[in-house]
Formats: sequence, C-alpha cells, structure tokens
Amino acid sequence: MDLAFTPEEQKFREDVRGWVRENLPKEISDKVHNALRLTRDDMQSWARILGKKGWLGYGWPKQFGGPGWNAIQKHLFEEETALAGAPRIIPFGPVMVAPVIMAFGNQEQQQRFLPGIASGEVWWSQGYSEPGSGSDLASVKTRAERKGDKYIVNGQKTWTTLAQHGDWIFCLVRTSTEGKPQTGISFLLIDMKSPGVSVRPIIMLDGEHEVNEVFFDNVEVPAENLIGEENKGWTYAKHLLSHERTNIADVNRAKRELERLKRIAKSEGVYEDQRFRDEIAKLEVDVVALEMMVLRVLSAEKSGKNSLDVAGLLKIKGSEIQQRYSELMMLAAGPYAIPFLPEAMDAGWQGDFVGAAYLAPLASTYFNLRKTTIYGGSNEVQRNIVAQTVLG
Amino acid sequence: MDFDFSDDQESLRDAVRKWVDKGYDFERRRKAVKAGGFDRAAYRELADLGLTGLYVSEDHGGMGMGPVEAMVAMEELGRGVVLEPLPQTLIAGGLLSGYAPADLQSAWLPKIAGGEAIVVLAYVERKARYKLDVCETTAAQSGSEWKLSGAKSVVPVGDKADAFIVPATVKGKIALFLVERSAAGVTTRGYGTQAGGRAAEVTFKDSPARLVTEDGLAALEHGVDIGIAATCAEGVGVMDKTMDATIEYMNTRKQFGVTLATFQALRHRLADMKMQQELARSMSYYASLKLNAPAAERRRAMARAKYQLGVAMRFVGQNSVQLHGGIGVTDEYIGSHYFKKLTELELSFGDTLHHLGEVSERMQDTAGVFA
Repeated sequence: MDLAFTPEEQKFREDVRGWVRENLPKEISDKVHNALRLTRDDMQSWARILGKKGWLGYGWPKQFGGPGWNAIQKHLFEEETALAGAPRIIPFGPVMVAPVIMAFGNQEQQQRFLPGIASGEVWWSQGYSEPGSGSDLASVKTRAERKGDKYIVNGQKTWTTLAQHGDWIFCLVRTSTEGKPQTGISFLLIDMKSPGVSVRPIIMLDGEHEVNEVFFDNVEVPAENLIGEENKGWTYAKHLLSHERTNIADVNRAKRELERLKRIAKSEGVYEDQRFRDEIAKLEVDVVALEMMVLRVLSAEKSGKNSLDVAGLLKIKGSEIQQRYSELMMLAAGPYAIPFLPEAMDAGWQGDFVGAAYLAPLASTYFNLRKTTIYGGSNEVQRNIVAQTVLG
Repeated sequence: MDFDFSDDQESLRDAVRKWVDKGYDFERRRKAVKAGGFDRAAYRELADLGLTGLYVSEDHGGMGMGPVEAMVAMEELGRGVVLEPLPQTLIAGGLLSGYAPADLQSAWLPKIAGGEAIVVLAYVERKARYKLDVCETTAAQSGSEWKLSGAKSVVPVGDKADAFIVPATVKGKIALFLVERSAAGVTTRGYGTQAGGRAAEVTFKDSPARLVTEDGLAALEHGVDIGIAATCAEGVGVMDKTMDATIEYMNTRKQFGVTLATFQALRHRLADMKMQQELARSMSYYASLKLNAPAAERRRAMARAKYQLGVAMRFVGQNSVQLHGGIGVTDEYIGSHYFKKLTELELSFGDTLHHLGEVSERMQDTAGVFA
C-alpha cells in the first residue's frame, strides 16, 4: 500500500503538465477558470490541438492510434488538463462511440470513422434518450426498418447535447419488437447531413442552448453503418457504459472548482464566516474522499488483483459534489447572484457588471448543474443498481 | 500509488480474523462486558498475536510494523467489536518509541510489546473536551524528580492500566509524562462505557512522574493522530459487520409476505449506507497512509478522515438499527452492540463537529488527496 505515485508516474504527470502549459490557449483556459461561455470554436480548437498530439483519444489503445495509457496515466492526464483549465473533451466521439467501434465495429468501419474522431475533425452526438425513454433507456421507439441495403429511420431523440454542432450521431434504434425490449435494439451511425434529419434547440433553465431534439423523418441510412449485429445494440451500449469508469466522478474538475469556490468566498467576505466556511470544509472532505475512492478503483484496475464495483457510488457522489459547489458559489454571491446577465458570460463583454465580473455566471452554473443527478442514469436509478449489487 | 495489501499484511489479517472468529465470540464479549468491560486474558491473547508490539521495534521485542499493518489489525478487531483497547497500545508504542529517552524506552517498550504492561493516554480534561492545547494538569520539578497533579477523564481502562502517558503544563508549555498507576497520589474511579468497554477518572496529586518529552503538544498531537487512524480502521471493521448483518436481515426478514429487500425505500437507504461505508474505508486508508507525513499535513489528513468516519459511523449505525426494526433496539441482538461501538468511536479522539472545525481551520487554497 502506497499513496505516492511512482517516479515514472510523476514524470508522466510533469510531461503532461508541461505540454498542457505550452499548448492550451490562455484565452480558452481563462474562460474555463471563470465559467465563461465556450464557443464551438473553443471546444473544437482544443480538440484539434489534442488530436494533433494524438491525445484526443487519450483512452485508446496503441493499435487504434491511441497512446496506450494505463488507468493511472489516463487519470493523471485528466487531472492535469482539468486543473490547467482545459475544456472537457466532448466525450461523444473519442470516449463514447470510439470504444464501441473498436470493440464491435468491422475493420472498414474502424478505418472510416476512427481517424476523424482521433483528429477532432468530426463532431459526434449521442442519440440515446427519447421523449418516452429517459432513465428507462431500453424502451426506445425510434424505428429503423431494413429495406434492401438501407435502414429507414423514423423517430425522435432528445436531450442531445451539442447536436447543433454534430456531424454524425450514434443512435440506439429499434429494429425488432419481439421479446424483451433490450433484445430489439440496434446501434446505428447516422450522418446528420442526411435528408430528413432535423435539429431543434431546447433552451434550458439557464437560458443556454446546450441540448436539442433530433428528428428523423424517413432518413435513409446505409446498412453498412450498423455496428455489429442487428438487435445486439443494447449489449454494445452497456459496454460503453462500463467503459465509463472513474471519469464519471469528475473529481478533477471538482478539485478545480473547489479552488474557485474558495476564491469567490474570500472575495465575497464569507470565507471568514464560520457557518459558511464549515460548508466549504464539508465539501472539501467529500472531494478528498471521492478522490480516494477513484484512486482505489485505479489501483485495482492497475493491479488486476481486486475488482471494485463502485461506479454507481462514483456517479452519485460526483454529481452531488458538482451540485454542491455550484450551490455554494451562488450562496457566496448572495444577493449578487440575483441579477441574471447571460451576455456577461461571453468573454470580453464590455457592459456593466453588477457587483463583480466573476459573479455573473454563478446562478447560471447552479441551474445548469441540476442535470448531473438526472443524466447518465439518474441518481435514483444508480441507487437501485448499488442496492442490487449489495443485496445480490 | 497502490492500494493492494502485501502477502504479509494479508497473513496478519487472516491471523487476527481467525482469533476474532474462534477466540472472541459474542458470548465471551458479553461475559467481559458483565465483568467490567475489560478482559486481561483477552488482552494477553492480542499480545500473543504480536499486536501489542506492532509499533514497538524488534530491538525492544516488538514487530516494528507500520500504519498499514495497524490498520489491518484494527479493521479485524473492529469486526469483533473487541473491548480491549489496542489503539491505546499503538499510541503508547508509537509515542514512547518516538519521543521518550532511551532508558524509559527500554524500561517500558518490551513490557508493552509482551502484553505485560498496559500503558494508556490520559489526556481528556473537563475543560478541554477534544482540545489538545488546553491542559490544567501541571507538573513541576523538585530536585531530580517530577511531580504531577491534576485530573484526567475517560481514560481507557484507566483503573486497570499499569501506567499513563499524561500531558501536563510546565511553565505554560505542555510536556508529556509517564506516571505509573501504582505511584503515590494516583487515584482511579473506573466505570463501564456506552459500548461495553471500560474507562476511568484518574487523579494525580503530587504523583512522581517521568518526563517523556518537553515538546509535549507535538507528541500529544501525534499520539492522538495514531489513535484517530486506529479508530478509523476499527470503525471500518464495525461498519463492515453492521452492513453484513443488515443485508442478511433484509434478505431474510419478511413483512407483508415479502422480504424487506423488496422495498425500494429500504433499498435506497441501504445504497446510501453503502456509500458511507466506502467513503469511510477510503478515508481510513487515507488516514493510515498519511500517518507518517509531516505534522501539518498529517493533522489535516486526520481531521478530514475522522470527520468522514464520524459522519459514516453515525449514518450506518443509525440506519442499520432502523432497517432492523424492533430487533435492532434489543440488547440480545449483536447489531445494537455494533451501533453502540460506532457511537463511542465517533466520540473518541474528537467527534464530527470538532473535526469539521479542524478541517475548516486548516483549509488551504487547494485541496485533494495530495494537498
């Protein structure tokens, strides 16, 4: 048992840190550190910088052009980029669909899709949720009917994050209504420029356009875009979820945001208020405990000696922490969180702030992060899963 | 970074677990509680396992082991809700080895390691509660001899121990002393504790004392931190058993014709307990792995760990009782003894609010496992 990283791991961390310092544009990290609005260009230019280095697919094995890092190296990369103020990698391409294509796609599909994901050129969206399928994902209704060498897709996806920028979308579609709901689902890749695909924005409670509805109206999809076998899509989607291990906890971002919370609390004069400070202290312990839990999982993965099935716990705690720091930031601002100036979240805005510039995004972030306990399997669904594991 | 246990640590765990399972069952424990909350024979068996010499060097007849081994042993003793106070022995071994002059070490460490002498930390005072820098007990030198006067509270097995490690103020500064229970002017008043163990009020009146170290506060903090890490590990052991019992009960007890495990309200409560159990285990590892860190970092880490453990022990304990229903509040069922042990552990070496204050006080601009 040893808490310290090995000298090699330390060296790795320093190399990543040095590279990030050299290559992360300051105007982007400034926005991240101050919770200002990121444009599509911001997100994509960082993705391209990573892509050029070969690190956008930082979890990929060498055989598919990735760096072949182990669990600890991946964690250190995530930590260094998060603490430096890098935007989160938009996960849908490199983190979500790519591992499925690697595991279940054919060679042709791998050669066709993976390079665009690795370079950051092609923006992917995730077509899972539907109006009638939230936490109960297996009930998806979007139909894909095989006609010759094509599928004809009809239906609707929703909560599709950043689909307004999407080039491609990977979808769970229903190809059969026989048997259990899970058994009639297929995993289909759809070009969003196909005729019949339309995207409608959903404006969220923070006033932002982050998610969309995506409609499919007799969309023709070449059968060669089917991943693996027809009606096996649920298995592939589950593989994808099991691939999402520790980064679901987002502990590195939480560490960065805890630092920001302390800065805000100091500026607002509540850091010396014992009642307020104790709330930060509780959050600090939560963050350290979550980080320890993440490190335990990484260690178990590295050694392969014991398996640690705590993904549900990591999701619950990680999301609760995100909500809590955003809540405390807003409470630190107090009455100055009431003014709502969405335009003040654009970098370089020249208007008059109320109170101080850093106060403008706080309420918005608080509203935005309410999603974290709902998406990715709501925390209540996670509790069901945890209880199932515990009770057997 | 590595959280696997070595083969030696696994064998230590097996040995202690075997003793707990075979040698320290609920009936034996119950008898010990009735007999006053301390069983010297059981303590000697801990010595036979080598546990009393865990922090004593091999030169002095001990095992010369480290915090991870202590954690492993304490987790297992926690599983048996063992009454005999090994955390105190770890503290005494650690403190005397680290701070006492050589002659005091050779006089006491072999006896501590062999289980012949029980030495406990007597630091709680009425006005100090959990504060370590408040100390009304005083000591003064007359000739070559130190004499110590004052009163200490809730001293574990205080009326059975052979000697005490006692903080006392000397010219406004806290020093640490060793006082034998048989020394002149020492009186003890023993009583049972809420979890079935034993403690005592101990008073000293011009009692002859040996100086352990003049740098008493630093040593006392270190000693309490050894106690915190041990308590965290012990709490993890008790919680593991509490969870096992709760899970088994939910899977077997039927109401309305179905098992309790059928009800989602109860399942979610159990999931929340599992969360606390794993956060606590994580922070117990953290405490033991930080026990040899520089003082400031060590103190911050112990406060974080004991806060988390306090929250977890209370949550798991209370909810286990609730999920058991009526049987959970009876003396005959072992679950209530787990609950009482968890409660007592929360109150030992600083409760949850105390350590929240410590975390609050010690916060830095950055935070994390490595900061």
